[in-house]
Amino acid sequence: MQERLDYATFYDGKSNRRRSVELRLGPVLEIREGDKIVASWAWEWIRRADSPKAQLRLRCANGEDLARLDITDEDLARRIEARCTRLDVDDASGRSGTARIVGWSLAAAASIIGIGIWGVPYAADRIAPLVPHSAEARLGDMVDNQVKLIFGDKTCTGAAGQRAFDKLVGQLQTASEFRAPLRAAVLDSSVKNAIALPGGKVYLFRGLLNEAKSPDEVAGVLGHELGHVHHRDGMRRLLQTGGTSFLLGLLFGDVSGAGAIIVATRTLLEASYSREAETRADGFAIDTMHKLGRPAAPMAELLVRITGPQRGKGIDILASHPFSEDRLTRMKKIELEKPGEPILTDEEWKALKGICAGSIKTDDIGKGTPEGERKT
Amino acid sequence: MDGSNFSGGSRPWDGQPVAGPSLRPVEFVSEGKKFLHLLARGAGLQFVTFGFYRFWLATDIRRHLWSHTLVDGENAEYTGTGRELLIGFLFALAILLPVYLAYFLIGIEAERMQAFASVPLGLFLVLFGYFAVYRARRYRLTRTIWRGVRFWMQGSGWKYAFLAFGWGILVVLSLGAAYPWRAAALERYKMRNTYYGDMQGTFDAKPGDFFRQGLAMWLGVVLVIVGIAGGAAMAATSFSGLKVLGTGLIVIGVIGLIALPFMYPYFKALEWRWWASGVNFGGTRLNCELQGGALLGIFLKYLAIVSLVTMVASTLILAIGAVVLETMGIDFEKFNPKTLNDFMSANSVIVIGGVVVGYIAVILAAGVVQNFFLQHQYWKLVTSSLTVIKPEAMEGVAAKGDLAHSLGEGLADGFDVAGF
Repeated sequence: MQERLDYATFYDGKSNRRRSVELRLGPVLEIREGDKIVASWAWEWIRRADSPKAQLRLRCANGEDLARLDITDEDLARRIEARCTRLDVDDASGRSGTARIVGWSLAAAASIIGIGIWGVPYAADRIAPLVPHSAEARLGDMVDNQVKLIFGDKTCTGAAGQRAFDKLVGQLQTASEFRAPLRAAVLDSSVKNAIALPGGKVYLFRGLLNEAKSPDEVAGVLGHELGHVHHRDGMRRLLQTGGTSFLLGLLFGDVSGAGAIIVATRTLLEASYSREAETRADGFAIDTMHKLGRPAAPMAELLVRITGPQRGKGIDILASHPFSEDRLTRMKKIELEKPGEPILTDEEWKALKGICAGSIKTDDIGKGTPEGERKT
Repeated sequence: MDGSNFSGGSRPWDGQPVAGPSLRPVEFVSEGKKFLHLLARGAGLQFVTFGFYRFWLATDIRRHLWSHTLVDGENAEYTGTGRELLIGFLFALAILLPVYLAYFLIGIEAERMQAFASVPLGLFLVLFGYFAVYRARRYRLTRTIWRGVRFWMQGSGWKYAFLAFGWGILVVLSLGAAYPWRAAALERYKMRNTYYGDMQGTFDAKPGDFFRQGLAMWLGVVLVIVGIAGGAAMAATSFSGLKVLGTGLIVIGVIGLIALPFMYPYFKALEWRWWASGVNFGGTRLNCELQGGALLGIFLKYLAIVSLVTMVASTLILAIGAVVLETMGIDFEKFNPKTLNDFMSANSVIVIGGVVVGYIAVILAAGVVQNFFLQHQYWKLVTSSLTVIKPEAMEGVAAKGDLAHSLGEGLADGFDVAGF
């Protein structure tokens, strides 16, 4: 069957020479320049190439990779399109390209989220105890710099107060058989808080000390922070947030992880440990206090005084700590077996309360700290 | 992609290999509506694929822009694929992860000794960023086809990185005066290593011309900075006369500072014109008549519409949220903060999920506007301001060059320096 002659523009993919060619639409698409056949393309291998809609551009999937045929005649284009059986097939991904992308993306996202929820915490729990104390202490120093940036770098060192504080910490340490290195200090900041950093640094803030009415309240808070240090919650938290933000970066495209690292170190200060970790630290504090023969409940009373009842305020899932009133209930429930001596004498307690008297200056850098960031 | 839809009318290239005139405009024949449709579809798919569709969307965008750009009557083609970009991204991940981990660990050590000790590491990452930019350009170039022949590129990404960085220091030291010389050096390196088939490119625009034409703008920037700094210094003195003068200088300087962003499009247009004048492929050259005012128009339109869209989308999502809350039993007519509070406490997962989904939807909507104005409209303006001089000099080029890996693109993506 002889078809009539049709004209098109052909590039052979070897040079950019523009060839004016005749097309013969037979069993294959024959491309002729004068009397010479320059290419013949089988219909099933012809694919559409990108072009503006005023023309049809074709390529051949099993021929010269970059050979192109441009057809501007509308009628000719229609006839050729009718013969090409696989014109719009994407050879790389198959016909249902988009559906496959969506399917694999969902699978990848599910796996990443799964790793984030179960894998990362599991790995953090396993890895945190393996990190040497020296490395953890270095991290702690880094965070320490940030703490001092935010809360000021004045520690309270009134001589008598310091002796009382050291005694208090020493007793807690002995009672809890705490072996990791520990450096505790009172920080001259009006924030009502106490924090534990990786590597065993514990800060009690003046604001919390002022609010306390008995040595037991302060001891309980310090016991709680000691619990964090003992359980290496700081390291665990760092590994967890680092891992999770990296995974989020994987999803949303920030591979740099630069963001991830900043977030990870920042969260040590700004957010807080998980509720499980807090509950565990509370348990540690209760045990320690009871070994000293002192009640644990005063600590929770102090907290309720500071925070007020918390249930139903804000969004539960975002709350990092157990509610103060729940902590109080828990601590009251456990009976003290045999009461012991007070941890500090009245004079020592007075001295501790006045530990900042020599160095109190109006540094209110941390005053604006929102409630949600409380760590105790 | 619907080649069957012909608009009729004959095209100038209608199959006849006529020796072209010596001046041919670059045409951009895209319809904005189609591109918007592509973006909207891409945003929807990004939403359901947790963002993974971004590789395919980037590819779709490039294919559209390339294929609607006619040079000497013939459209360019982009042959890269989303899958390649994904693979490049994964490779980049494998390289960057250890680098960043090492960076983090060394950073801790360095930070402990001295706050500034981690600066050299930052510099290393800057170099790495330039490397990525160069390699990404190479990837895109090797996927660019015109008249059945591909562009390609050689040269070393690291060499380019050191060049860019070294000149960058000079630019800083000279308060920006060295910028034209830096641009010329980098463009020379890039273009010398750029090939169309077997034809090597060159770049021969004079940095002095760029400097002269941009001198007024540069002086403006320097004056604003010096004015503010000097004003501040004067205001800090104890002489009341100087104080008044200093305050005045600061006020004028701040007004200048506000005006600076409006100058940026004029600077960019100048840079485009200068760049185009230097591009040379075997005698074929470009001429650009881009005007700063037109560019400013695009930026302003973008800002206006992106604010509008963000507002409308936010309102819409809040309204949807309100309707959902109402169907779940919150009565807004007898509004009571306490019931809302209780409800939020009880359904925190749904509330947080809703907020996250809404937030992402607004971001994606803004992304559509951004891609439309800052890619499509920008591209349209630039390409249609270009004229090809002596296109016949490029006739008869033989195919040469291999495809480059998409790793560079992945790295660039990782550093967030990816462009077209």
